[in-house]
Amino acid sequence: MEFGWSDEDATFRKELRSFIASELDGGWDGAVRHLGSPENVAHSIIFNARLAERGWLTPHWPAEHGGGKSTPWQHIIMGEELWSIGEPRGPQYMNVNWIGPSIMAHGTPEQKALHLPLIAAGKVIWCQGFSEPDAGSDLASLRTRAERDGDEYVVNGQKVWTSYASVADYCYLLVRTNPLAERHLGISVLLVPTSTPGLKITDVGSMVGEHAFHELFFDDMRVPVSCRLGAEDEGWAVVREALSYERVGAPRYARAAFQLDATMCWARDNGVTLSAATVERVGQACASCAAARLLAYRVMDERSKGLPPGPSGNIARAAMVNAERLVGQCVLELQGPEAMRSGSVADEQFRKSLAAGIAAGSYETQMNLVARLRLNLPKG
Amino acid sequence: MEFDLSQQQSEVLASVRTLLSRHAGPDHLQELGGDAPAYDVALDDALEAVGFGTIGADADSGPLDAALVVEEVARALGSVAFGARALIAVGLGVADLPRPIALVSATHRGPARFAADARTLLIVDPASNSAGVRVVGVEPGTFGRVRSRFGFPFGDVDEVPSGGDVLAGVSAQRALAWWHVSLALEMVGSMRAALDLTVHYVSERKQFGRAIGSFQVVQHRLADLTVLTDGARYLALEAAFHAAPEQSAAIALVHASTVARRFPTELHQMSGAIGFATEYPLHLSTMRLPALLAEARAMSSAERDLVALRWPGSTP
Repeated sequence: MEFGWSDEDATFRKELRSFIASELDGGWDGAVRHLGSPENVAHSIIFNARLAERGWLTPHWPAEHGGGKSTPWQHIIMGEELWSIGEPRGPQYMNVNWIGPSIMAHGTPEQKALHLPLIAAGKVIWCQGFSEPDAGSDLASLRTRAERDGDEYVVNGQKVWTSYASVADYCYLLVRTNPLAERHLGISVLLVPTSTPGLKITDVGSMVGEHAFHELFFDDMRVPVSCRLGAEDEGWAVVREALSYERVGAPRYARAAFQLDATMCWARDNGVTLSAATVERVGQACASCAAARLLAYRVMDERSKGLPPGPSGNIARAAMVNAERLVGQCVLELQGPEAMRSGSVADEQFRKSLAAGIAAGSYETQMNLVARLRLNLPKG
Repeated sequence: MEFDLSQQQSEVLASVRTLLSRHAGPDHLQELGGDAPAYDVALDDALEAVGFGTIGADADSGPLDAALVVEEVARALGSVAFGARALIAVGLGVADLPRPIALVSATHRGPARFAADARTLLIVDPASNSAGVRVVGVEPGTFGRVRSRFGFPFGDVDEVPSGGDVLAGVSAQRALAWWHVSLALEMVGSMRAALDLTVHYVSERKQFGRAIGSFQVVQHRLADLTVLTDGARYLALEAAFHAAPEQSAAIALVHASTVARRFPTELHQMSGAIGFATEYPLHLSTMRLPALLAEARAMSSAERDLVALRWPGSTP
């Protein structure tokens, strides 16, 4: 056990910081950016191309798929540095973190040849078609139906709460291919262009931010069987693996810490006097971000050793939620009446913190998995 | 960055666990007085005899190894001032101070852990530029034993002695940082012991025809405490690895303290009446947490230290 960075990783972080400083001039206000907004996505396409030129969009991928010679840790260093300034990669973080690796692990040669270079070059945006009106935290109860018709699937059903769908080129879509099988067994994954006829995407208004959520309606959407990722009816195993990456792929603790830093500097510059109670809460929020960071590192460590996903991912995810929530409360308290202005850091962070325990698997689901996989508590 | 123990660290831990299985543990502590234990001179000597006291200064190990041992000693309910010895004294470069070592702030007044048995009093004074850390040699018994049931032996420090030797070149901040790390590790060790015991208990204990640990309301609370304890553990170990940078040390103590405040109530609630029985070991670890929290509070506010270090100028 040791907690040092190698020279190589430390140098990488330094170079990345100087690149970010030169790429993002004064016009970038990361503290209040909305990840999936059209402006952010447009900006991300340019930024990602610049990252890709340096081999920094997918540094942790194998060289054969457009990756570099980076250490596994450079992936999370990249995540920390970019999330902490508002994630200028936009929704791209998702592609490089788990959609690409999922295609690498389960894709056909044709799927790899089509999708991986596009992701590695930063040219495409993906969304994930998971949640449905009746399948939220209980994802395996999903009902969107894909019926085989020769060389095609005919898809009917509905997805909801889908982030980035209005700007996405492709959807990583979970469908039920066998309604008679045990519920975890009849699920398949389809890689679907969002331009496919029969797919309609609409915005869902939300208090979290504009264009945060969408609904996807499938009306006899025809998808070639060649778009299926992995074996028919065996998509649950594929998606479970992908979700284990998703849980820690976005180092939200880095963003939360950044928001707290920004707000504390604001408070100092504006002569805000901190009560002893506020100091206590700020200290606790700061420490929570640090705890989440180390717990995410533990997952990266396991991942870099090729270990199967375990409860460490659920623990890290829960710690990130705790950190985001504590920071959300702190920044509100620190900014006081100023927090009420639309676009304030507190407004942004507090709203995000309310969603933190829902997205990427609810907090309660993480608790269930920690109880079962880590503590071996008996089933009910 | 490496989360697995090295071969050497595994061997050290195996060895300290063997030692603690003979010289510590709940039954052993019960013999020493349970929640009002005597100072365990035999354990102190046993740890010293095999070199664990100075493992942090060894050429082929370091403060992280010492931290792992401090955590183990706390998990096994050792009634010894081992953190003060292996982390603080060694970290400050005074490994040869007579043991046991008790720490107090210059303004301390009242019960102080290990003071009744101490041969060395380490006095930390953040307000002093010239004498941030003083060493005062004392005879055991100088400070009267305090009647207390918080899991450690206490001595009554009515008045912090003056004089002694000023530790040249050692600031109070360095001593506080090591103290932060040491307290955080002791909290983590106690919390892990209490958590393991409770997880076992709720897995076995049946009510309403099923193990109470199968109820989701119990599962989620234990899972929550696991998340928090894991975080506190790695923060303390990381701070030790880097030789207690002041900010990391404060972060470790802030998080450990936040978690520690939740432990006694939660775990006793889940353990029901058996948790109160003298013969059941839960109280031996849960009741230590308020003692460690009181010690942390008596020296400074770690939250305030952290905020002042991270955002200079933000607090008056």
